[in-house]
Amino acid sequence: MPAPEAVRVAIQRDADIVAARQRGREMATAAGISGSDLTLIATAISEVARNILAYAREGEILLSVESRDGRCCLQVIAADEGPGIADVELAMRDGYSTGKSLGLGLPGARRLMDEFDIVSAAGAGTRITMRKWAR
Amino acid sequence: MAVPILKQGPVLIATVQDALTDRDLIQLRDDIAARVGILRSTGVVIDVTLLDVLDSFACRTLRGIAETARLRGARTVVAGIQPDVAMSMVQLGLTLGATATALDLEEALEALMGVGEGGIGAYAGS
Amino acid sequence: MTDGYNTPPAAQLTDAEVERRRRVFGLTAEDLARIAELRSAVVDHRAEHTAAFFDHLARVDEGGDLFRRPELLDEARRLKEEHMVSLVSGDYGRAYIEQRARLGALFGRARIDMRGFLSAFQMLIGSIVRRVAELHPTDTVAAMDRVVSIRKLLFLDISIIQDVMIAEREQMILNQQEAIRELSTPTLQLRDRLLILPIIGLLDSFRAKQLTENLLRSIRDRRAKVVVMDITGVATVDSKVANHLIQTVAAARLMGAQVIITGLAAEVAQSLVTLGVDLTDLNTVGDLQGGLEEAERLLGLETRRIGSA
Ligand SMILES: Nc1ncnc2c1ncn2[C@@H]1O[C@H](COP(=O)(O)OP(=O)(O)O)[C@@H](O)[C@H]1O
Ligand SMILES: [Mg+2]
Repeated sequence: MPAPEAVRVAIQRDADIVAARQRGREMATAAGISGSDLTLIATAISEVARNILAYAREGEILLSVESRDGRCCLQVIAADEGPGIADVELAMRDGYSTGKSLGLGLPGARRLMDEFDIVSAAGAGTRITMRKWAR
Repeated sequence: MAVPILKQGPVLIATVQDALTDRDLIQLRDDIAARVGILRSTGVVIDVTLLDVLDSFACRTLRGIAETARLRGARTVVAGIQPDVAMSMVQLGLTLGATATALDLEEALEALMGVGEGGIGAYAGS
Repeated sequence: MTDGYNTPPAAQLTDAEVERRRRVFGLTAEDLARIAELRSAVVDHRAEHTAAFFDHLARVDEGGDLFRRPELLDEARRLKEEHMVSLVSGDYGRAYIEQRARLGALFGRARIDMRGFLSAFQMLIGSIVRRVAELHPTDTVAAMDRVVSIRKLLFLDISIIQDVMIAEREQMILNQQEAIRELSTPTLQLRDRLLILPIIGLLDSFRAKQLTENLLRSIRDRRAKVVVMDITGVATVDSKVANHLIQTVAAARLMGAQVIITGLAAEVAQSLVTLGVDLTDLNTVGDLQGGLEEAERLLGLETRRIGSA
């Protein structure tokens, strides 16, 4: 069965986090990614999906296989229309948390993926785009 | 899906499944806290061999379980963290702090109980 | 890809490149017309031409693995006879090129080198030329014209096969390099529960990642409790390398194994600390001998502890 081009996972309950990382693994495999990278991707997805639930209550994870110059990547977009982040730079720091948690989700996800981009502002929701390339 | 907890002598064994939700984890924490007290357990093994992802929330909760158990007189060993999971935890910046780890359930039990004696003995954690 | 091996690069030629090759070798409509006349000389005697090629390879012992692997030899013979048929078919487009490329890939896999291939191809050409000459026993000029025409096509064939053989060879070298890289980070098991990992050479981030992966898998597969990682042979230990080491140690610890690092020169350690690298989580011991003793102590201690419980 050929893998779909793109998958959308709505994030509304904590079971959706598990579903998002499972779909992420499947789509990453379809992108030609294998080995430990699959776990790195699933972990990064878990972090951004949990942030949606924790800080924006709901949102979505969009997974797609993209290609550039003959190489494939898995693209993960985590989008919500929640309160947004006033100081993105601060939020990206190791250990910074407004949720009394470890504050490693955002900076950690950036380390786990090859590309990481975050667009957010107070009151304007949050949109994170991450990519991992097949080797 | 709740995590089953088994009692083997003085040790509680919790075997985590792959699709572990945050709620399951929190329930596990509460269950272990309750049972350590009632059963006067001296050791807890959390077997995470099947777990696909150990993210910051799971890590923090595991540490919380170990800390709660310690305050009630039991030592916790997290067993079976897989190579890929260990790599991604490290890249995320996660540690289990003072919580002991073991290759698998067998090793964890060996560390918590004396070999073949069923007694409470060595603690191989660092 | 129906036959289970990589599509040779020449098979990925675009139509424009196919056309270009025909131009480079000067294949004209006139040539094609002459070649068409040679059907009987080539097709009727295809077994003989094919034999000329393979007999030569066997005789001069240039067949690589071909004569040791009957399945390859059968396939090569079949493709060569097919070559003889398509040589005079008049259609020299992509399908023709792909056939050549496939035979080239097979030769590459059989480890036939260019020298062997060219000398055998020479024999094949000779065999064809003899039959062509027979068609025009009295008109040498006509015979020569036809030989020239078909030689253009045969040389085009050589150019394709050569490209493919080179590409196959490059792939083989890449595979070998990969294997050597893996070999250069072996995990040795000295005794139960103890792994030794001598690291040699340059530690770039790709290799460091691979090394960590290998080590963690070995820990699981061989149920190691202690790992001695000797970095005496590592070219430069800068902060990047040190951070890789720290991460590897942390990951091993998460799996329940302890890592001892040996061979970190004191002045290197000093300069790392000056750079702000926190080495407190690293259990370092001067030399390999000391590291092994420390490992034994850790393992022994453990056995004793458990045993005395
Ligand atoms: N989707 C989001 N919407 C609003 N705020 C967010 C979102 N994601 C992250 N944040 C903010 O960024 C901070 C850092 O996030 P993270 O690195 O995941 O750490 P943690 O979740 O442990 O706090 C959070 O505490 C929160 O304030
Ligand atoms: Mg978070």
